[in-house]
Amino acid sequence: MAHTTQAVRPAYRPVRPGPLETLTGTAREVWSRRRLITYLVRADLKKRGADTVLGNLWWVIDPLLTMLVYVVLISIILRVEREAYPLFIFTAILPWKWFSSSIADAVTCITTRDRIIKQVNFPKIVLPMAVSVGGVANFVFGLVPLFGMLVLFYPTRITAWILLLPVVALVQFLLTIGIAVLASALTVFFRDIGNVATHALRIWFYLSPALYGAEQVTQAVGEGSILSTIYRLNPFVALFESYRNLIYAGAPPVWDLLALVLVESVILLVVAVLVFRRMEPSFAKVI
Amino acid sequence: MQPAIDVRTLGVRYNLRLTRKNTVREAFKGMARRRRGPSHFWALRDVSFRVPPGESLAVIGPNGAGKSTLLQVLAGILQPDEGAIDVNGRISSLLTLGAGFDPELSGRDNILLAGAFMGIEHRDMLARMDGIIEFADLGQFIDAAIKTYSSGMNARLGFSIATAVEPDVLLLDEVLGTGDATFRAKSQARVLELMQAARAIVLVTHDMNWATEFCNHALLLEQGNVVAAGDPAAVVAIHEERSEQRRAGLTPDRLPPITDTGILEAEPNAATPARAGR
Repeated sequence: MAHTTQAVRPAYRPVRPGPLETLTGTAREVWSRRRLITYLVRADLKKRGADTVLGNLWWVIDPLLTMLVYVVLISIILRVEREAYPLFIFTAILPWKWFSSSIADAVTCITTRDRIIKQVNFPKIVLPMAVSVGGVANFVFGLVPLFGMLVLFYPTRITAWILLLPVVALVQFLLTIGIAVLASALTVFFRDIGNVATHALRIWFYLSPALYGAEQVTQAVGEGSILSTIYRLNPFVALFESYRNLIYAGAPPVWDLLALVLVESVILLVVAVLVFRRMEPSFAKVI
Repeated sequence: MQPAIDVRTLGVRYNLRLTRKNTVREAFKGMARRRRGPSHFWALRDVSFRVPPGESLAVIGPNGAGKSTLLQVLAGILQPDEGAIDVNGRISSLLTLGAGFDPELSGRDNILLAGAFMGIEHRDMLARMDGIIEFADLGQFIDAAIKTYSSGMNARLGFSIATAVEPDVLLLDEVLGTGDATFRAKSQARVLELMQAARAIVLVTHDMNWATEFCNHALLLEQGNVVAAGDPAAVVAIHEERSEQRRAGLTPDRLPPITDTGILEAEPNAATPARAGR
């Protein structure tokens, strides 16, 4: 019988597909598992409303309460004057809630599914994707009080520009999904990301023109200066200003900045998917 | 004939640095003292075997021998670091039961979720739904959230889902002792049924009766190596002798690894275990 202690070990060279192949392969896998994504999203939505008295009403109440806190803080305590200030900040709080809750969930979405990852072979990328898709529901529910507010208190601000809301939201969705995919994979190796994310998100929020207008910053640092250019590179400058134009000011979105964010988001998504796929084989060993 | 499972000099390595290091701080520390201590650990090495269609292989061995790792590689959950494996056909793995359950969802929703995780067609899963529910025998509880289930009920549902699909290659890990006596009898019958239908089976078990009664071949794994292979009765005998020594507080001599057993391929004396004489 052949049993030598010195085995013939063919060097194992995993055949790594090229970047393009990885991308198309991932797209195909995600498409074939679209139902899994649907289930995960539905399960998530069901769970969120399940244990509370008001159930899914919280989706609507939550952004309203956040807005109230800021309105009290900024327009009453700090006495900042701005027309229709509740609407002004609500147009930024809604998309921000969508973004920040998606990223916060994405950070833990792989590590909390450790058991299934060790037991079943499935494309792990569906997990951050499901989180990102689920976050859209967050935004859509939040639109209910937004439109309620518009109709009841600011009917004169409604213009046809509001119909472009999905376009801006799509850009934000692509940005969210890229960051979500990247963050979920990195957290497997660096658990610190969960802690970092909470603070990074908070700082990012205050750096973005949510509670104030972008023009206040650009005026302060000087229009056209380097600082103002750097400031405008924050994707949430483009996003918040665009949302605000559509809903609050009745103007077109900031097309040039928005296009830049779109390009950046697509590049980020490509990089994120490649990084994720590269790390994916180690997930079952590391978590 | 093409084997259902073909494993050649398989090695799976765990990077100790990666698995231990979970924070950025420790990553920096790791960088500072790069070359100290073993950096990896071979959970499996030089494992070769073939399972032809219609055969069933029992994998036995002490805890930590790499049995579960072997199943994880066969199921495609882990990638080999060395060697290669080929599995021909649809694999179903009955590893830990109920792994993918979401405690907040109802049993019914969890059936669909588990099916989606396993990559089973939605229509297929709907068609099997009634059968799964009937087999799990949870009564009204099927519409209650899983968190209200007892651990036995949980395992029953997990078992029903995992065995609902007839696979070509069935991987079983310690799932035979589930639930109360009635369900255990029922699940054993179901496993036997699947074993008859499946093209190949790999069964990891601590129950030596299963190995000798239902498998035509056995592998003994110790510390990631195959140390005995062949006829189940003989391999089990080696394993039991060595377990006996361990219980007595002795460390049995380390058996040299069998690096290519070729247990089933063109071995006229395949039934003789490699080390039956020891």
